[in-house]
Amino acid sequence: MKPGLGTAALWAALLIFPLAVAGLPSAPFLQDVGSTVVLTAISACAWNIIGGYAGQVSVGHSIFFGTGAYMSLAVFGLWQLPPVAGVPLGVAAAVLLALLIGAPTFRLQGHYFSMATIAVAELIRLTVGNWDLFGAAIGIQGPATPRSGWDLIYRSAVPYYYIDLGVLALVIATTAWMAGGRFGFYLRAIRSDERAARSLGVPVRRVKLLALMLSAAFTAVAGSLYALKVGFVNPESGLGILVSVQMIITAALGGAGTLYGPVLGSIILVPLQSASNSWLGGGGSGLTYILYGGIIMLLARFEPGGLLQFWRRGVPWLRRRLRGGRAADAA
Amino acid sequence: MLLEAEAVGRSFQGFVALESASLTVAPGEIVGLIGPNGAGKSTFFNCVAGDIEPSRGRIRFDGTDVTRMPAEAHARIGIGRTFQVPAAFEDMTLVENVMVGGFLRHRQRGRARDRAMEMLRLTGLEAQAGHLARSLGTPGRKRLEIARVLATEPRLLLLDEALAGLTPTEIQQAIGLVRTIHGMGVTLVIVEHIMEVIMTLAQRVLVFNHGRAIAQGTPEAVIRDPQVVEAYLGHRRRRRDARP
Repeated sequence: MKPGLGTAALWAALLIFPLAVAGLPSAPFLQDVGSTVVLTAISACAWNIIGGYAGQVSVGHSIFFGTGAYMSLAVFGLWQLPPVAGVPLGVAAAVLLALLIGAPTFRLQGHYFSMATIAVAELIRLTVGNWDLFGAAIGIQGPATPRSGWDLIYRSAVPYYYIDLGVLALVIATTAWMAGGRFGFYLRAIRSDERAARSLGVPVRRVKLLALMLSAAFTAVAGSLYALKVGFVNPESGLGILVSVQMIITAALGGAGTLYGPVLGSIILVPLQSASNSWLGGGGSGLTYILYGGIIMLLARFEPGGLLQFWRRGVPWLRRRLRGGRAADAA
Repeated sequence: MLLEAEAVGRSFQGFVALESASLTVAPGEIVGLIGPNGAGKSTFFNCVAGDIEPSRGRIRFDGTDVTRMPAEAHARIGIGRTFQVPAAFEDMTLVENVMVGGFLRHRQRGRARDRAMEMLRLTGLEAQAGHLARSLGTPGRKRLEIARVLATEPRLLLLDEALAGLTPTEIQQAIGLVRTIHGMGVTLVIVEHIMEVIMTLAQRVLVFNHGRAIAQGTPEAVIRDPQVVEAYLGHRRRRRDARP
């Protein structure tokens, strides 16, 4: 995909957003929502590699997200290290888990992988929820006050916003590079028809496994970034099924298997969630489920390809209509 | 010999789809597989393509034992195949479809693309290179499959009813295409129902019936073989003759 005008505008908007709203009275709130948008985009883009491009719908990406989040805070809890030191550890653990989950389940086709990811995710959530080392059901915390610059604790959301934006750029760049080369072609071929892909020499299992490992690594980074900002994680916020569902919905809303679909999904979905939460008060967490359910139904009914697909089809249609109208006027 | 299949058989949970079939193919040959529906020719075909593993027997390709190799290894070693029901990558453009094949021998995107365009030219799909595969009709899909597998540079090409469902004019074009591919030095094994195609293209024919290879020879000799006539062509005539 060639970077176009829309892409440039998107990045420009993302770059100036925190500064553009800085003068407003609600700036801290808007900047916080902005950093959540970027963070959500990272995890959705990471999910998109295996779930979108390769078409292997993981419903257990909370495993990798939680691994990243827990590792970051565990290195502080155990050894008083800054949470950022847990990032490589989280990535390594997530890649290993991806290998353990993918190796047996990718032998099978169809929905077995999705079901296996749900099962493993629940298993890990329950295990961690009963494991004192990781704070059991209560969860674990990061440093309360910054001991040095390495703790990356800021009162404002803006530094987090820019750290996350840098990581998002890295994820997008990696995905773009991947999608343009042999690996990306192989993923799309697998999504479309595994048997045909295999007949053309695509090593299907290995390619799927590599995609899952790459996806898991980036998802773990997203989990670590979440832990850095929030400074706290518990089994529900790090490993709950809603974490996985959010990635799927975000990617699917914008367009799974497209480079910027997950970013678009996040830009729409996160403010919507924040708005519903602030309007309906703290008791609104159950409403998130209803919102997700509604979005799933609308997407499945009207545009399974997501909003980017809608846009791509809608714009030429509109142009044709306008041109047709003009031609009719001239006649 | 390029391909040596020895007493290949396959059962599915007790059901014997293919009892036993042997076939040797020399480099540069065109061999036809014929037989009524359910005779076992597709099973045999898929065993050779590596899509299903034989329960019995042995398959060698250019001296290498490929009996238990997965399908992707067959492609790498030089055995290409098409599908009876064309399996296009619907959401990819034609050139992208063919590039998936091209990437097998060319790591670089540009090289894979050049190879893909070459194959689209050969199959007469060049003008539609940028269209999505889902926009193609059956004849186009059949040609796309051929372009895609040719991009993997096979030495042996297995065509599974690549000409079924085409109009007489399209069949003539397709026969020309198969001849061109053969002229490029590719050895061919074709499954085909249309006798005209087999008679014009195949130098040798293997006839299947009830899970066995029952006859082998030139197309002219095979259609005169009483066993073949009985199995494949002769039901109605025999029934009529049998009546008092």
